[in-house]
Amino acid sequence: MASAALPALSPALLEQPAVRVLSEALGENLLGASDFRGEVAITVDRKAWLKAVSLLKDHPELDYKLFLDLCGVDFLDREEEPERFVVVLHLYSVSKKRHVRLRTPVPEADPKLPTLVPLFKGANWFEREAWDMYGIVFEGHPNLIRLLTHDAFVGHPLRKDYPQGQRHVLKEPRKWLLDVPHGSEHVVINLGPSHPAMHGCFRVQALLDGEIVKDAEAEIGYMHRNFEKMVEARTYWQVIPYTDRLNYCSSFMNGHGWALAVEKLLGVPAPPRAEAVRVILSEFSRIMDHFVCISTNVVDLGAITPFFVVFRGREKIYELLESCCGARLTVSYVRIGGLAQDVPEDFVARCRETLDFVMDAAKQMDELLTRNVIFTRRFRDIGVMSKEDALSYGWAGPALRGSGVETDVRRDAPYSGYDQYDFDVPVGTTGDCYDRYLVRMEEIRQSARIIRQALDKLPGGPVIVDDRKVALPPKSEVYGNIESLMNHFKLVYDGILPPKGEVYGKTEGANGELGYYVVSDGSKHPWRVKVRPPCYNNYQAYPQLLKGGQIADAIAIIGGLNVIAGELDR
Amino acid sequence: MGVLDLLKGKFVDPTYAGVHGGGDIITTTVDAVVKWGRKSSIWPMPFGTACCAIEFMALTGSHYDLARFGAEVLRFSPRQSDLMFVAGTIPDKLGPVLKTIYDQMPEPKWVISMGVCASSGGFYRSYHVMQGIDELIPVDVYVPGCPPSPEGLVAAVMKIQEKIQTSQQAGAPQGAHRVGANGEGMYDRRARRAEWAKDDAERRAAGLPPRGVLTDLKPEPEIDHGAHHG
Ligand code: SF4
Repeated sequence: MASAALPALSPALLEQPAVRVLSEALGENLLGASDFRGEVAITVDRKAWLKAVSLLKDHPELDYKLFLDLCGVDFLDREEEPERFVVVLHLYSVSKKRHVRLRTPVPEADPKLPTLVPLFKGANWFEREAWDMYGIVFEGHPNLIRLLTHDAFVGHPLRKDYPQGQRHVLKEPRKWLLDVPHGSEHVVINLGPSHPAMHGCFRVQALLDGEIVKDAEAEIGYMHRNFEKMVEARTYWQVIPYTDRLNYCSSFMNGHGWALAVEKLLGVPAPPRAEAVRVILSEFSRIMDHFVCISTNVVDLGAITPFFVVFRGREKIYELLESCCGARLTVSYVRIGGLAQDVPEDFVARCRETLDFVMDAAKQMDELLTRNVIFTRRFRDIGVMSKEDALSYGWAGPALRGSGVETDVRRDAPYSGYDQYDFDVPVGTTGDCYDRYLVRMEEIRQSARIIRQALDKLPGGPVIVDDRKVALPPKSEVYGNIESLMNHFKLVYDGILPPKGEVYGKTEGANGELGYYVVSDGSKHPWRVKVRPPCYNNYQAYPQLLKGGQIADAIAIIGGLNVIAGELDR
Repeated sequence: MGVLDLLKGKFVDPTYAGVHGGGDIITTTVDAVVKWGRKSSIWPMPFGTACCAIEFMALTGSHYDLARFGAEVLRFSPRQSDLMFVAGTIPDKLGPVLKTIYDQMPEPKWVISMGVCASSGGFYRSYHVMQGIDELIPVDVYVPGCPPSPEGLVAAVMKIQEKIQTSQQAGAPQGAHRVGANGEGMYDRRARRAEWAKDDAERRAAGLPPRGVLTDLKPEPEIDHGAHHG
C-alpha cells in the first residue's frame, strides 16, 4: 500500500510545507495529499494520527496552533474510499496564515482513534460529537458520552443508514453533570436550559462554595435540530434557508458563507455587484449581532437602557433587509452565484440613512457603558482567557481577538472583495470580558467604515452569474423562449451538480470564523456538510472561565461569549 | 371621567354573562371583573429557544411594544406567569424541560405556540425535533410563520385575551397521539440488504425463483374484437 501511495505526491504538493514535513516524518504512513481549490488536504494512517497532529501543531515551520474543527464523515458504499469512516481535522496557523485539513480513514469494524484532547483542549467536544453522530471511539477521551443527542437516543444519527426521521423520546433528563461527593456541603446550582440569565438553551451546573464556583460543567444539545442531517437530503439551494437559522442574530452572514463555500466548490465567483451588496449587508448584520450581544449582556447585569437604545437601531436594519428581500430575520437573500434579486433603487440612500441612525445608537450605547463605573467593575478582569488557551480551545472572532490573537478572516483570507476596503482589526490585551466588549464596540465602528467605502463604490451590473448550470434564467426569458424554459426546468429538477471534491469555505461571521466543510459526491445533494460553529468553541471554555470566580460573574461572562443556540447545536 | 365610566364600556357588553348596567350603576359579577383584570395584565413567560425568540424580543422591544396590551411584565419564572410563549424549535432533549416548566405554571394558564417549529416541527422533520409541542402540552393559539411577524404575535395575544374573557382553555395536548417514536421500526439499510441476500440464496438453493419474479402469469386471454361490432 505504502509504495503505491507515496509516489503520488507531485512536486507542487511537496512545496507545501505541511506536506513536505509530514511526508518526511511519517514515510509510508502518509497515505496521500491533495490540493483542491487551493486547499491542502493530507491523509494519514491512523497509526500516525497523533504524531501527525503534534507535528502540525509544534513544528516551527508549520505552527498550526489554532484548532478549528474535527468531524467524522461516513462514506457508506463509496468505492473510492478505503474505509467507511474518515475523521477530518481542520487547523489554522495564525502566524503563517495557512489552513490545513488532515484526514484519516477509520474502519467500520474497529472505529477507534486516539484522542487529541491532550494536544488541543477544544478537541474534547468535537470528539464527543463525532462519537455521538458516527460512533467513532476516541481512546483516552476523558468523557466520551452523548453531547448533542439525549441519553435515551439509540444509534448514531449522522450515519448514512440512520433514517432521517427516526426519533427517540426522552423522559428523564440527565440530572447530574458533575461528580458531587456524597455528603458534600457544597451547593450545586443549575443554570439553564431555561433560566432567566441564559441566552438560549444550554445548561451549566456549578458547584458552589459560598459564592465561589469550585467546579462547573456544561451541557448542550438542547437546540440540536439536525442541520447536518437535513441538508444531506436537500439540494445546494435548499440549504440556504437552513443556514439562516444557524446564527439567527445575523442570518444574512450564514447564507453569505454558504454561498461562498459552494461557489468555491463550483469555481464560479459571484459578480462584483452581488459581492459588494453581500459585504454591505453582512456588515450591517455584524453590527446587529454585536448590538444584541452587548445589550442583552448588560440587561442581565441590570442595565436596560442600552437595550432600548440599540434595538431601535436594529429595527432599522431589519427594515433595510426587509426592503431588499421581504423578510426581516430569516432573509434567504443570497443565491449560489449571487443574490436572489437586485436591491431596491434607493438602496444607497437607505443604507446611508440607516447607518447614521445605527451609529448614533452605537454612540449612545458607548456613552452609557464604556466609562460606566458599575459596568466596568462587573467586566474588568472577569473571565480572563489566556492567548494560548484561546488558541487551544479554538476560540473565534471577537472573543479570540479579545485575548490578543490578531486574526480576522476578512483580512487574512479576503473574500467577497474585502481586500478593497480599508479597515482595522481591533485586538484586546488581557482577554477579559471588558476586552471582548471593547473589541465588539470597535468592530461596530469598523463595520461602518467598510459599509461607507462599499457604498461609495457600489458597482453596477448583474447580481447573479449568467451560468445556466448554477443560476436560474430570468423570468422574462423563461416565459419567452424554450431554451430558458428547459434550463429552468433542468436546474430545478436536477439541482446544481458540483464536481466531486471537498472544500472548506470560511468567512468571518459575527462570532468569528464560520466554516462550512462541504463534501460533494457529484450529485445534487451534498454528501456531508459540517459547520464549524464559532460559538461552540467559545462555549466549550465556559466552565473553565467560571472556576474560581464568583457565581454572579457567570452571567457577565456568558453574554460576552455570545452563544447562539442555533449555531451551537445546529 | 370616573372609574365607573371606564367600567361601563367594559362590562355593558353582551359577551359578559350576567352583567347589567344602566345610569350610573353597574352591577356585575366578581367573575367578570376578575377576567377583565386578568386579560389586561397578562404576565408572559417567554420559553424562547431559537430564532423565534429573537423576533419575540422585537415584540417586547420599543417598536412593537407589548406593553400596549398590558402584557409587558415578562416573567422568567413559570410560577409567576400565566401565559407561556413557546418561541422556537423544541428538540426531544428539551421536551422534559418544557413539560416541567408548563407544569410549574399556576392555573389558569394559556400557551401560545409561536412559529412553525413549535407548532409542527417546521422544516426540521428529523431525528431529534419534536413535531409540535402539542405532543406534550395543550396549546391555545398557534401562530404560523418562520418566524411569525410581530404583528402576528400581537394578534395572538389579542386572541388569548378573547379566550380569557370567554373562559376558554385548551384541555389536553392535541397532538399526543402523534408520539410514536420509541425507537421501534429502526432499520439499517445494509442489514436489510444482507437479509435479502440471505433470502435470495435460500430460495436459489430450494430451486425457487427470486422474489419479485412472477411465474404464475397466465397469458392474456385473446379478445375477440369482432364480437363487439354488433
Ligand atoms: S419557526 Fe422558523 S424562525 Fe421560528 S424557531 Fe423555527 S426555524 Fe426558527
